[in-house]
Amino acid sequence: MVKDYSHQTAPEDKISFGQKFAYGLGSIVNNLLGGAIGFMSIVLNVGLGINPALVGTLQAIPRLTDALTDPVMGYISDKTRSRYGRRRPYIFIGAIMVGLVFALMWQLPAGNTEMFYFWFFLIGSIIFYLFYTMFATPWVALGYELTSDYHERTRLMGVMNFMGQFAWISLPWFYAIMENDRLFTDSVQGARTLAIVIGVFVAVVGIMPAIFCKEKFVASDQEKKEKSRLLDGLKTNVAMFFKGLVITVKRVEFLKLCAGTFFLFNGIMLVGAFSSYITIFYVCGGDTDMGAKYMGLFGTINTISTLAAIAAVTWISARIGKRKTFIIATSITLAGSLLKWFCYDPMAPWKVLLPAPLMAVGMGALFTLMGSMIADVCDLDELETGERREGMFGSIYWWMVKLGMALAFGLSGYLLNATGFMVEYGGAQTSGTFFWMRLVDVIIPAVAAGIAIYSVAMFKITEEKSYEIRSELEKRRAKKSASDPATQTA
Amino acid sequence: MNLIKSVLFVLITLSIYGCQDVANELAGKKPDDARTIKISMIAKSNSNIVFLSAKEGAESAALNLSDKYSMIDVDVDWNTPDVDDPAVQVEYIRDAVKHKYDAVLVSCSDKDSLTSAINQAVDQGLLVMTFDSDAPESKRFAFYGPDDVEMGKTLMNELAVLLEDKGKIAVLGGSKEAPNLQNRVKGVKEALSQYPGIELAGEYYHAENEDSAISKMTEVIELHPDLNGWAMVGGWPMFGEKLLTVIEPGKYKIVAVDALPEQLIYIEKGIVQVLLAQPTFKWGEIGVETIINKIHLKKDIKGIIPLNPLKISIENLGGWSRQLRAWGYKGIPEKYLIM
Repeated sequence: MVKDYSHQTAPEDKISFGQKFAYGLGSIVNNLLGGAIGFMSIVLNVGLGINPALVGTLQAIPRLTDALTDPVMGYISDKTRSRYGRRRPYIFIGAIMVGLVFALMWQLPAGNTEMFYFWFFLIGSIIFYLFYTMFATPWVALGYELTSDYHERTRLMGVMNFMGQFAWISLPWFYAIMENDRLFTDSVQGARTLAIVIGVFVAVVGIMPAIFCKEKFVASDQEKKEKSRLLDGLKTNVAMFFKGLVITVKRVEFLKLCAGTFFLFNGIMLVGAFSSYITIFYVCGGDTDMGAKYMGLFGTINTISTLAAIAAVTWISARIGKRKTFIIATSITLAGSLLKWFCYDPMAPWKVLLPAPLMAVGMGALFTLMGSMIADVCDLDELETGERREGMFGSIYWWMVKLGMALAFGLSGYLLNATGFMVEYGGAQTSGTFFWMRLVDVIIPAVAAGIAIYSVAMFKITEEKSYEIRSELEKRRAKKSASDPATQTA
Repeated sequence: MNLIKSVLFVLITLSIYGCQDVANELAGKKPDDARTIKISMIAKSNSNIVFLSAKEGAESAALNLSDKYSMIDVDVDWNTPDVDDPAVQVEYIRDAVKHKYDAVLVSCSDKDSLTSAINQAVDQGLLVMTFDSDAPESKRFAFYGPDDVEMGKTLMNELAVLLEDKGKIAVLGGSKEAPNLQNRVKGVKEALSQYPGIELAGEYYHAENEDSAISKMTEVIELHPDLNGWAMVGGWPMFGEKLLTVIEPGKYKIVAVDALPEQLIYIEKGIVQVLLAQPTFKWGEIGVETIINKIHLKKDIKGIIPLNPLKISIENLGGWSRQLRAWGYKGIPEKYLIM
């Protein structure tokens, strides 16, 4: 039931559309950077002949370095005290540098050995991911702190997630662009040029959040003194970093959100390839043209539905709360997942399109609501620790997402093999293989969605609780302001 | 000011050019200097459905390649005799030279008759590729098809598994004059030497039609009442439903080459346990792709591109039926399609 709700966002808590838009531009850049390497890496194999196993290694190693660099960057950003803020300097420099490195790392010289390309790209990737972290971690943290209002946070995340979808829409076209023989002599040359275009786009668009978004928390005199302490002792900072890391990963409410995201997102990602295989080889009997047509239509419906779901989720959550909205949205995705079992019908291939809008709802809700809910956790954390650590929370959350995604991609190949799938048989797989492929495709996302619902249902920061936390924090800040006139809270 | 005007002029010109290019791309319009690559596809006979499936494969590949590469348009012309006739095939090869085709994709009804025609065509500048049935002594640049000796070995190995390495078998060999069938029989015998527990009753030849094949089988069964298995290097006895009344399901272990729609019922009824299928759609698809790789992409092509047969049994009867439908075969019973 929709409750009678009287909360109005205070004018000082409202984020202007211009700021939301600027922040959303960061989302396009963030998603573009996150996906571009994956979508362009096919050139390493097809164009330069690098063994697919080495290409997989090239994608996996940076995930390991992220495990260290992401939280370190979060910690550095949280502890930074500068006249430009804690986030914006890193976003500005990070966007320019990551754009530059991205453009350079694809300028692979022709006529070299497989190992030359491997090392060239590996070193390039590691540098790329360092600057990507420098941009993305403070950008994520900035989103958590742009407003203290419970619902305005969701609206901001809605705009961010909506705009970020446009990167995902463009990514599948990359291979076709690189392969276009009107524009390029081969896909390697295509990758070189495309990388420059993307690099310029990233550098120009990526700095927009740094220029147009205003940081809410500005350093006090006391905190400016901490700035010097930050540079004082490496040992002290390392100890503080690990202490902060432990506090973050022990924050139960945060872990519930992580679990919700991990299971829902990776449950769907894990079987992403299965849906394509089942559509092409089972439903369309190995007719790759027909299968590709249905996969294309599925993707289009899914994208449109995701955009609609983001708007709907943002609107609904202001009425029934974030937790309930998440549970409803994820339940719809769970139903969509189960529906797939009945929609894989070789006598009526069009039925594969039916679950597409349902599958999109949960994913549309996920990154809209989770960002907003993590911001609520940051408030609770400040209440208990006295520190604002959006950087640390954001970095651990997104590292968990990236690691899960890498695991999902890696595991999906093994899962496919375990079903007995043999590519040379095309549509002539055994009935047992098709049964297991369909079962995995339906059960894994459904069970994962069930776990995600359970995790988030246990989340304790309700709307009322959030207001209590905020009221307490404001009292504390007011007291602090009284004792330190230099402190400002926008 | 002049600089601004110049920059604007360049930007507008580029935009117009770019928009036109994008519009052409979206409309599928080729650039003026795009080249049409004409391929004459010459199969053995129009009355054999395996070749009609190959035709679908070739046309599908032509469409996809024309779509993928803006600088070429691939045209496949179907020039196939109504019935097996090497003389007509020779005529079609000469026509291809006369009408300035770029390439010929041919399945040779008789290698001796076609070798010289192929060589003349190659000398005139055409590229010739063979599929299904080769002319190995000719100047064709590539052949896509099965290694018949290997196929015979696979046939025997599958039968040995079904017989658990013991029993008495017969080989049904089709025409003794057909070199591809001879090679398959050779492969069966080579593999058989690995199974001392399996005795060969003999290899039996007959005219390549349903009645002759069944008649030969009946004769052999009377001669060898203790027979346990059959290795059939072709699927002739299953070209109709007569064999259903001749052989009791499960009495013999049978492995046969080819898995065409009319053979599927024998798998369903348990009369035949394994069929070795040839992906006939790919004859055309891979044939056309290989020719384009050679002509347009200037790739080095291996002389023989092996076609690996697929094992079809009751486990993948449904999947294979759907695959056949996707390749253009008609009349496949719905009960198989939903398996």
